[in-house]
Amino acid sequence: MRNPLSPLTYFSRNPGKVLPMGFVIVLCVFLIASIATMVNSIDLTILTIYGYTRSFTYAIPQRVSLRIPEEQVKIMKADPRVDRVFEGSVFFTNIKTVMGRFPFVVLGVTPDNRDYLLKRVDTGLIAGRMPAEGMPEAALSEPIAQNKKVKIGDIIAGPTDAGGISGSPVAVRCVGILRGPVWFAVTSKSFCDQTFITSPRCLIYTTKNPDDLFGVNNTMLPPVNKKNGKLDGTKLNLLSYQNLVHELRDSLSSMFLIMGVVNGTVIFVISLMSGMLANIYFTQRISEFAVLSAIGYRRSQLIGRIVAETALLTTIGWLVGALVTVTFLTIFKTAVFEPRGLIIDPQDLYAYKWTIPIPFAITAFAVTTISIRLMKLDPVSIIERR
Amino acid sequence: MTETLFSDRTVADRTLACEGATLEYSDAGRTTFALRDVSVTLPPGKFYGIMGPSGSGKSSLLYVMSGLKEPTGGSARFGGFVYNRNTETAVTDLRRTRFGFVFQQPFLLPYLTALENIVVAAPLPDKAAQEKAMRLLAHLGMDGLENKQPSQLSGGEKQRVSVVRAMMSDPDVIFADEPTASLDRKNGFRVIEALAGWRDRGGTVVVVTHDGDMLAGADTIIHLRDGELTDEGDK
Repeated sequence: MRNPLSPLTYFSRNPGKVLPMGFVIVLCVFLIASIATMVNSIDLTILTIYGYTRSFTYAIPQRVSLRIPEEQVKIMKADPRVDRVFEGSVFFTNIKTVMGRFPFVVLGVTPDNRDYLLKRVDTGLIAGRMPAEGMPEAALSEPIAQNKKVKIGDIIAGPTDAGGISGSPVAVRCVGILRGPVWFAVTSKSFCDQTFITSPRCLIYTTKNPDDLFGVNNTMLPPVNKKNGKLDGTKLNLLSYQNLVHELRDSLSSMFLIMGVVNGTVIFVISLMSGMLANIYFTQRISEFAVLSAIGYRRSQLIGRIVAETALLTTIGWLVGALVTVTFLTIFKTAVFEPRGLIIDPQDLYAYKWTIPIPFAITAFAVTTISIRLMKLDPVSIIERR
Repeated sequence: MTETLFSDRTVADRTLACEGATLEYSDAGRTTFALRDVSVTLPPGKFYGIMGPSGSGKSSLLYVMSGLKEPTGGSARFGGFVYNRNTETAVTDLRRTRFGFVFQQPFLLPYLTALENIVVAAPLPDKAAQEKAMRLLAHLGMDGLENKQPSQLSGGEKQRVSVVRAMMSDPDVIFADEPTASLDRKNGFRVIEALAGWRDRGGTVVVVTHDGDMLAGADTIIHLRDGELTDEGDK
C-alpha cells in the first residue's frame, strides 16, 4: 500500500484540484520557453548564416579602397599560424530571416581556392555542378536554396533584386546544391571581377589549425586600431566570428533585457496566481490538516507534506510544460520554419533556462503563505466549527 | 481481540489529571471562562463520561486533558508528562503515540478509502499497519468496507471507521467528543459499544456527551456546569 498521505495518492484522486494548477504551470513554462526560443532564433539564425566564419575570416577594405593594402596582406602572410591568404570577390543574395531579408555573401574564388574552402567547411556538392569560370552561376547550400525557394536553374540574384547591397546586374543562376554543416555559397572570382567592377575585393585567410583562427583574428585586429607591424583597423573590416558574436549580443542585449523583464513579470504573476490557487485549495482541505494535527501530526510534518505536494506538482508541471513546448516548437519548426529555410531550435537549453525559476517561485510562494497559515492552525477551532 | 494491552505500563504512568485547570477566552474585552479551576484525576483502564449542558465546558475539559488546548491557568498532565512544561512538538507526539481521538464528525479524508483513513493514524503506514487495521475493522463488524470511500459509507460506518482510526496506535486513552451526536441511537450505541471495548482491553476512554443514555456503561461520570466541576463519582 502506498503511503495514504503521499502526494501521488492525493494527485491521483483529486485531479479536479491538481490539474488547474498544473495547467497554469504548464502554460507558464510554454509561454516563457516559446518566447525565449523565438528570441533566441534571431541569435541562432545569424550565427548559423554566418557560421562559415568559424572556418575562415574575410577582410574587406574600408572607405573607398577596392583592395586590402599590400602591407596588410604581408602582415597576414607573415603570421606562422596562417595557412592560406587569398583574394576573393563577392556579391550578395537576399535570404529571409525572422528579422526580415538579410544579404548573404556569395564568395567569388578561384577553383583551387573554392575546393580548399569547401574542404575547410566540410561541404560537398550533392546536386548539379560547380559554377563555371566567368559565368553568372553559383552553388548554394541546401538551406539557402530552401530559404530562397530555388532549385537548380533558378535565378538567385538579378537586376530586379530589392534592397541594400544585394543583387546583380546580370541574372545569376543556381547550378549546384551543396551540403555541409554551415550555410555557404560560391561563384567564380572571374565572374565577380568582371561584373562587380566597383565592388571591393576581400581578403580571405585560414589558419593551419582551425582553432587558431580566433587567436589570429584577435592578434591581427583587436578592437583598437593597431599599426607598427600589425594590421591597421582603419584600413579594413574583419568579418570574424568573434566580431559577429560580439556585435550580435550587443545589438540583442536590449531585447534580452526586455525579455528578462517580461519573463520576470510573467513568473511573478503566475507565482502569485498559483499561490492564491494553492491557498484556495488549502482552505478547502483545512479540516484535513486540522484532524491530522489533532491526531498527532507535527506542524513540520504538515508543512513537509505541503512542500512535497507543491514541489512535485510544480516539477511535473515544468516537465510537462517543457515537453509540450518541445513538441509544439518541433511541429512549428517542421511546418513553418524549415520550409522557409528559417532556423529555430526547439531544444534550445538557453530558452528553458528562463523557465527554471518557475517551479521554485511557485513553490516558494505557495509554501510560504500556506506555512504561515499552518503555523497558526488551531485544530480545535476547525473541528468544533463543523 | 480480548487481550489486555498496556500491562507493561504502570497506573501512575497512565493517569490523566487536571490541577486547577482554567481556560478563559477574551472576546471583545469580555472574559469568558470555559473551565474554572477544575481538578480531576482519571486513573487508567476506565470508561469516563463527561456530561453537562451546552457551554458547560465539557469539550474544553476534554481538549485540555488531551493536550489539544493549553489551559490559561493550572495544568494538565498524563502520567508525569505535564503538557505546559513541554514543547508543542512533544505534546503533539504524545497525542500521536498515546492518545486516540474521535470527534463529533468523523473527519475522514474524503479521497482515501476506509482502510487508508485508518492507516493514517498508524506510526508507520506499512503492511503490518494495514493488517492491523483489517483486524480492527473485522472486530467491529466492518469487513468488506475497507476499500470503500467515505462517501460510500453511512454516517454510523464513518464514525466507527474513525473509532478504528483512534485505536490504530494502541493508545492509552481514547478521547471522544460527542461521538454519537450526529448519529441515530442505534448507531450511537454501536459506537459507544466499540469504545467501551477499548476499556475492556485495558485502555482509558473519555467520552463527552449530553446524552446520559450513552453513558450507561461508563465507570465514572464527571458533571460540569459553567466550567466548574459539579460532581465526579463512580456510578
